[in-house]
Amino acid sequence: MSMMHASQVGAAPSTAHLMRWVIAATLPGIGAMTFYFGLGVVSNVLLAGLFALVAEALILILRQRPVRPALGDSSALLTGVLLGACLPPASPWWLIAVGVFAAIVVAKQLYGGLGHNPFNPAMVGYALLLVSFPTYMTLWSPPQSFSAETLFNETLWAQVIGTLPPTKLDALSGATPLDAFKHKGQAVLASEFWASQPLPEGTLSAWRNVALAWLAGGLVLIIKRIISWHIPVAMLGSMTLIAALFYAGDPSHFASPLFHLLTGATLFGAFFIATDPVSAATSKRAKLIYGAGIGTLVIIIRTLGGYPDAVAFAVLLMNLCVPLLDIYTVPRPNGHSKTADKSMPEGPL
Amino acid sequence: MPAYEFPGGIYPPERKTHSNQAPLQAAPLPALVTLPLKQHAGNAATPCVAVGDDVKVGSLIAQRNGMISAHLHASISGTITHISNQAITIEADGHDSWQTLPPLDWRTDSPEKLLERLDSGGLAGLGGAGFPTYIKAQVAEHHPIDTLVVNAAECEPYITADDLILRSYPNDVLEGAQLIARLCGAQRIIIGIEDNKPEAISALKQALPQIQHPATIVLKVIETRYPSGGERQLIKKVLDRDVPSGGLPADIGALCHNPGTLLAALHAVRDGKPLVERIVTLTGETISAPGNYWVRLGTPVGTLLNSVGLMPDRLHQVIVGGPMMGTPLTTLNSPVTKTTNCLIAASVTELPPAPMESPCIRCGACEHVCPAQLLPQQLHWYARAESDSTLAKLNLFDCIECGACSYVCPSFIPLVEDYRLAKQRIRLKQIETAKSEHAKHRFEFRQARLAREEAEKQARRQARLAQHQKPAGGSTGNHATPEVDLRSLRIAQAAAKAAVKKAEKVLARAAEQDPKQRFDDLETQLATAQENLKAADARLAKARASTTQKETP
Repeated sequence: MSMMHASQVGAAPSTAHLMRWVIAATLPGIGAMTFYFGLGVVSNVLLAGLFALVAEALILILRQRPVRPALGDSSALLTGVLLGACLPPASPWWLIAVGVFAAIVVAKQLYGGLGHNPFNPAMVGYALLLVSFPTYMTLWSPPQSFSAETLFNETLWAQVIGTLPPTKLDALSGATPLDAFKHKGQAVLASEFWASQPLPEGTLSAWRNVALAWLAGGLVLIIKRIISWHIPVAMLGSMTLIAALFYAGDPSHFASPLFHLLTGATLFGAFFIATDPVSAATSKRAKLIYGAGIGTLVIIIRTLGGYPDAVAFAVLLMNLCVPLLDIYTVPRPNGHSKTADKSMPEGPL
Repeated sequence: MPAYEFPGGIYPPERKTHSNQAPLQAAPLPALVTLPLKQHAGNAATPCVAVGDDVKVGSLIAQRNGMISAHLHASISGTITHISNQAITIEADGHDSWQTLPPLDWRTDSPEKLLERLDSGGLAGLGGAGFPTYIKAQVAEHHPIDTLVVNAAECEPYITADDLILRSYPNDVLEGAQLIARLCGAQRIIIGIEDNKPEAISALKQALPQIQHPATIVLKVIETRYPSGGERQLIKKVLDRDVPSGGLPADIGALCHNPGTLLAALHAVRDGKPLVERIVTLTGETISAPGNYWVRLGTPVGTLLNSVGLMPDRLHQVIVGGPMMGTPLTTLNSPVTKTTNCLIAASVTELPPAPMESPCIRCGACEHVCPAQLLPQQLHWYARAESDSTLAKLNLFDCIECGACSYVCPSFIPLVEDYRLAKQRIRLKQIETAKSEHAKHRFEFRQARLAREEAEKQARRQARLAQHQKPAGGSTGNHATPEVDLRSLRIAQAAAKAAVKKAEKVLARAAEQDPKQRFDDLETQLATAQENLKAADARLAKARASTTQKETP
C-alpha cells in the first residue's frame, strides 16, 4: 500500500480529529446553557462524558476488542457530551448512567461499534430517558434561577446522591417555551397566550440565545468542512416550510416558523445530531431527503403529536429510513446516460 | 478557452519542483539490461533470438504474439546471455551501435506503411496501461474520430516526465500528434495541460503556429486538480463529452494519447527508431540528482538510481509511477519498462506507511471527491462482503482507481486496494464461469486448424495436378458445378474475411476497455477466424486450379 495518506501530508483530517472538532464546537452551546441554567449543565456533560468512556472501555473488553484505539477516536466521548447537553441541569447521576448505557452499550456497541450503529446513540439514550423518566426529563429550571449559592450546592449534591432537592422542587419545575405553548389549551389563542406572560422573565430569550450559540458552533463545523451543509440546510428548510404552512393556515393556534427554529433542540439537532455520519444517509441527494424528513417529522410531532419537542424521535425515525434512502439515491456515475439507463439499479441492491 | 468540470477531485501536494528544475539528460548506458517479454497490455511477446546471439540497439528480439501484444527490441548492443519465459537479458558490448528501420515521412507515406511501422517499432502507450499503439491508431476503422486529445495533464504528484518532454521536444510531440491524427482521421487536436506547467505551456505556444496542418491544434490550459489526467476526466474537461460507462473515448469520437507516446511514434516513423528508451522522472528525497532522464528499457532500477546519487541508508521505498496510483517495488533489480514513467525513491518521512485502519464512519468524504461519481463507501462495504452482484449494480468497474477516496478517508481505509481485489476476484470468476465456453473455442480452433491444413494440402495437390496436367479427355463431368462452387467459395471467403475483421474489432475493444483482463479466449476466437479465412483461401485456390485444369483442354 503506497498511497500517500491524508494524515501524512496534513491534508485531510482523521476520524479522531473530526470527533474532537465536533466536541470543540459544542463549547459555545454548552457555555450558553451554563450561563443561563447554571453549572449543572457542565456537571451533566462531564459526568456523561466520563460514563461514556467507562462504558465504551468495559463493553470493548467484554467484546474482546482493542480498547485504546476505540477510546482514542473520541467517538464515545462525543456521544456522552451530546447526551449530557440534552439533559436538564444537574440530572441525577443514575439517570445519566442509564442514558449513557443505552447509548454506548446498546445503541452503539451491541450493533458492532463505531460505524455500524443504525441509530444515533445519543438520541437512543435520550429517547429512552424521555419515555422512561418523564418527570426527571422535563425539570428545566427557569433561566438564571440559581442566584442563591445554597441552591447551586444543593443541586449538585442532589445530582451526586441521585435525588432532587425536595424543598426546591417547585423552583425547578419551570416549563420550556415549547412545553408551555404545547399545553396552552385549545381555547387560548396564541396572541392571548403570549400576552399572559406564560413564562418567567427572560425564558424565551435564554432559549433563543442558547439556540444561536449552537448555531455558531454548527457554522464553525460547516466552515471547517467537518460536516457538510446538506442535512442542516434541508432540515431547517423543511421545518421552516412546514411550520409556515401550519402557521399560515391558523396563526392563532400554531407557532411561527421562527419560534420553531429558535426553541427546543432545533439548531442543536440540525448541526450536531442529524449530522452524525454513521447513522445518517450517505449520498448528497439522500442527505437532503434525510434532513428534510427530520425537519418535517419534528414539526408534525411538535404540532400534532404528544411531545413538546421531537428532534430525538424525528432523527431516530429517519435513521430507520437510511438504508432505503441509500438504495434509492445511488447517484448517476459519469458516462451513464440520463434517460433509461439499464445499468442503474431499479430496485433494492 | 473555457474548461468544463468533472466532479470530485483532490488537491494533493504537488512536489513537482523536485524533479522539474534540472534539464533533460541521458542516463548512463547500463552494462546489462533485462527486458521483460510483457511490457504492454495483452500477450507476452515470443523471443526470436537465442542465447549467444549478438544484437544491436533496435534489433528485434521478441515478436508480437497475437493481436494485443507488441514487438520487443534490444535496448543496448551486446550479447544475449539469458532467455527465460519472463524476460531476455542482454550484456552490453559498450559500442552502442544501432540498427534502425528505414525512415518514413508521416505526411506522405501511406497509412498502412505508418501503421506497420508503429507495429514493428514495438510501440505501446507510455502513459501507464501500455496499450499497443498500432491497435489504437486503427480505431478509425470502427469509429469516426474527430478529436485527438493529447493528455499532458500529468496530474499525479511528483511526475514531471511529460512536462520535460514538452519543454524539450514541443515540435516533435506536435508532429507526433499530427501523425496519429492523420492515421485516425481526427481533424482537431486538443492538448490538455494543467496550469502548473508554465514552461511547457510557453514552449507549446511557440511551437503551435508552425504545426497546424493537417489537423488544427488547440491548447487548453486547465486547473490543477487530481485526477484531471484521467482519460475520462480530461475528455470531460476539454471536450465536455461523457465517455459512456463500459465504453471507449472512440465511442464519442475522441482518442487520447500521452505526449511520450506521440514522441516515440514520431521517432519510430521519422527516424526509424524502435521503442528502446523512454523518459523517466527520477525523484524522491533520497536521490541527490533528481530530474528527468532518457533511460534505456530494461535498465535495472537499482543501477539507475545509483547513477543519480541514491542514498541507500535513507531509502524507505521505491514507487513506480506516482504516489496516488503507483505500486511499490519489492526489489531494486526490477527493470525499467515501456510503462515506467516515474521512480520515486522516497524517505520514510516523505511517504510514510499508512496508519492503522479504523472503522468507516460513513462520513461521505470519499463520495465528494470521487471523479466517477460512485459511492466509494458502499463499494467498500460490499467489496469486503464479497457481494459481487451488488458491486456490479454500484458500477464497480467504472472506478478508475485514482485513489482520491483513499486519500481523503479519515479512517485510513485502503479503499482502492479493496476495489482492485474485488475486480480481480470478479475477473477470475468470469474466467471460471466461461471455462467451458473457452474449451469450446479452443476445440473450434483445433477443428479450424485441421480443416485449414486439409484444405491447403488439397490445394497443393490440385496445383500439382494442374501443373503437370494431362489432357483430361475423359472429363465428362457437369461444367456448371465448378462455377457454382467457385461462386459459393468466393462468398465463403468474403464471410471468413468479415469474421476475422469482426473478431479483431471485438478483441481491440475488449482490450481497450479493460487492459488488465486476459484476452486468451478472444485471441483464440480471432485465431480460429484467421484459420477459417486461410482455409477458405486454400479452397478457393484449389477450385480455381481445378477449373483452369478442366477448362484448358
